[in-house]
Amino acid sequence: MMRRMFKICTLAALVAYGGGAAQAERVRVTGEVVDTWCALTGIMFAAGTAHHQCAVWCAAGGIPVSIKTSDGAYYVVLRIEDDDSSATSDTFVKIQSHEVSVDGELHERDGVKYLFVSKVADDKGVVNLTHSDFGIVPFGN
Amino acid sequence: MWKQSVLVCAAVAMAAGAAHAADSWGLANETVTEIEATVVDIACVLNKDCPPNCGDGKRQLGLLTTDGKLRLAAKGQSVFAGAVRELLPHCGKVVFADGLLIQDPALTIFMVQNLRLTKADKLQPATAFDTDWAKQNGKANASDWFRADPRVKKVIEEDGVFGIKGLKPAPTP
Repeated sequence: MMRRMFKICTLAALVAYGGGAAQAERVRVTGEVVDTWCALTGIMFAAGTAHHQCAVWCAAGGIPVSIKTSDGAYYVVLRIEDDDSSATSDTFVKIQSHEVSVDGELHERDGVKYLFVSKVADDKGVVNLTHSDFGIVPFGN
Repeated sequence: MWKQSVLVCAAVAMAAGAAHAADSWGLANETVTEIEATVVDIACVLNKDCPPNCGDGKRQLGLLTTDGKLRLAAKGQSVFAGAVRELLPHCGKVVFADGLLIQDPALTIFMVQNLRLTKADKLQPATAFDTDWAKQNGKANASDWFRADPRVKKVIEEDGVFGIKGLKPAPTP
């Protein structure tokens, strides 16, 4: 009975949100592409060259990729241009640690800024040189 | 009698609420919790772009709770791996996800440590990523998958550990 009630409530929630009734907004976002888990939790130093290898591991492992802006905001990237394979694609792996400016559609929902990137306007590559201070994080050289 | 009943009910409710096995990581803003939620394709929920089977493992997945909260399932139990492999078999179904809800002011995410399909089931560790990787690449290097993964090796060989071609670590003395 309780399980049926839960399913009804979940269905109602899905219907209420219309499968995606959240308001979207066109935005330009500039920042560093980061591995969301390490960068947000602070379990290790997670920026720039020092953390690039780990960021590649995490993206290849399917951890969401975000753009972190200079004011500390995170934009979780669900699409990059024509590629929406956000959990597996090489596009999401290869762009780790890059400084980018992107145009896209922003959906905010329950504490998360989700970004569907329509165009990478600028990609400077990896420019945050942190390895001379931090080495390779984690595990060192 | 009434007072006794209330106390018994409260104890049962507390026990039910505490019935999780997730480990704290001591992170700021974390809550150890078990949530009952439907497994969803996040892009589908947000923009109605809904391929079959939640994107078949290619897309980020979420947990939609009964009160309409969409939780980004960002991490599983496997080292350096997300939660897509854990949740994909349950696309569109209700699960009980045991783990850490991290409500940072900048971003809210969920780490799935264990899963079960009903409250009566035993919690299963969310390590499907390891199992799947070993099936595809062999068991020998599964615990160090991130170093042995062919795709990772190719990217690191091409761009280097720092992501800049030609930039190499200083030799260790």
